Amino acid sequence: MRKFSIIIFLILAFFIIYFLQENVFNAFTISGIKPNLFIIYILFIGLFANQFVGISFGVICGLILDLLYGKAIGVSAIMLCAIGYLGSYFDKNFSKENKITIIFMVVGATLIFEFGTYFINSIILEFDREYFNFIRIVLIEIIYNVLLSIILYPLFQKLGYLVDRNFKKNNILTRYF
Amino acid sequence: MNRNRQTEILGGIITAIILILLIFLSNVEVNKLSYLESVASSIVSPIQRVFADLRNKIEGNSTYFSNMDNITKENEELKKRNSELETELRELEKIKADNATLQSYMNLTQKYSSYNTIPAYVINRDVSNFSSTLVLNVGSKDGVKENMTVIADKGLVGHVISVTENTSKVQVIIDSASTVSCTISTTNESIICKGTLENNQVLRASYIPTGAELIQGDSVYTSGIGGIYPKGIIIGTVKEIITTSNITDRYAIVEPVVDFSKVDTVLLILDN
Repeated sequence: MRKFSIIIFLILAFFIIYFLQENVFNAFTISGIKPNLFIIYILFIGLFANQFVGISFGVICGLILDLLYGKAIGVSAIMLCAIGYLGSYFDKNFSKENKITIIFMVVGATLIFEFGTYFINSIILEFDREYFNFIRIVLIEIIYNVLLSIILYPLFQKLGYLVDRNFKKNNILTRYF
Repeated sequence: MNRNRQTEILGGIITAIILILLIFLSNVEVNKLSYLESVASSIVSPIQRVFADLRNKIEGNSTYFSNMDNITKENEELKKRNSELETELRELEKIKADNATLQSYMNLTQKYSSYNTIPAYVINRDVSNFSSTLVLNVGSKDGVKENMTVIADKGLVGHVISVTENTSKVQVIIDSASTVSCTISTTNESIICKGTLENNQVLRASYIPTGAELIQGDSVYTSGIGGIYPKGIIIGTVKEIITTSNITDRYAIVEPVVDFSKVDTVLLILDN
């Protein structure tokens, strides 16, 4: 029952993030560059819930985004699925207690998502790749995502461990020692 | 532990301030930094006002507590009147917004009366930094089909790439995957305009014929080649011509006439 209510909460969080991204961050940009909260959201689910939930949410949210904005259906779904998996991989290999590791996870996830999406899209839609401009945009987006995750870190921790307690079989301590 | 928590909160606050400053400074032109002056004055003025009041009282000029009962009664009445006016104002603003939308629909339809068109409203904008799509409030039940041309008050916006029953997705011409065949107004030469990641407010015009003489300020129109866009819709003006060592590689920066970040009312051309 608790798992079900957490899933409902995560779905609600998706809509909140969607409206924030659409209405707030489309206007509040750094040099015209918007952050991508969906990457942080799926990374968070992969990190604190389990691999299955991370991947499922990644695919479903990616598909919704593809249907809403995408020029090729499935690209965001594949990449967000990868981010969900990456979150669970990070969870097994790194500590979530440290803010610095969270920052590196956000950097890695943003890099992988944007590189993947851009290159798959460039193959499907056959457009010329602009490497320099792409790197410039990704770097600014990474800075924006990192700043947002630092601000949201206390919220991550509180909500994260609530999700963690309900989705992980083992106690947190026994997983580390 | 408590100290760690405090440091964490402080870190969060400092990061938020840095983020707000970054957003502010990257979006505001340097000559508009006089805002800072008004911010500074708004910080100082309340304190200054307290000092001024104190000075007035000492000098015997204050009438602040003279007729408290009357002031309270008057205040109540004014508050009531204020809330009534606010309600009226909200209603008026809604009517004004509806009127503006209808007016812009009408203006657009009149301007492009030679085409069979339907008006539409932008309901969603792309959230990605690498693509530019719009979602419109009209779909297949309104007669929208894929590849239909979308125009705004000033010029070309893009074309429909997918349609649902109630909505349609439009690829904007500044999208990095978009290509439009165009002609230059003065020389009638054909060029190709593409979206670029360098700046999401301009187009890059390439494949300029070696003999073509481009002039800054030349208008660029759709050529009608390619099968999507009809001939003669204005796209923008030549902003800059970049010459390279090899003349075949030269390109131009075209500034679209439509401001895609603000466009909210468009027309779909039904019969291309």
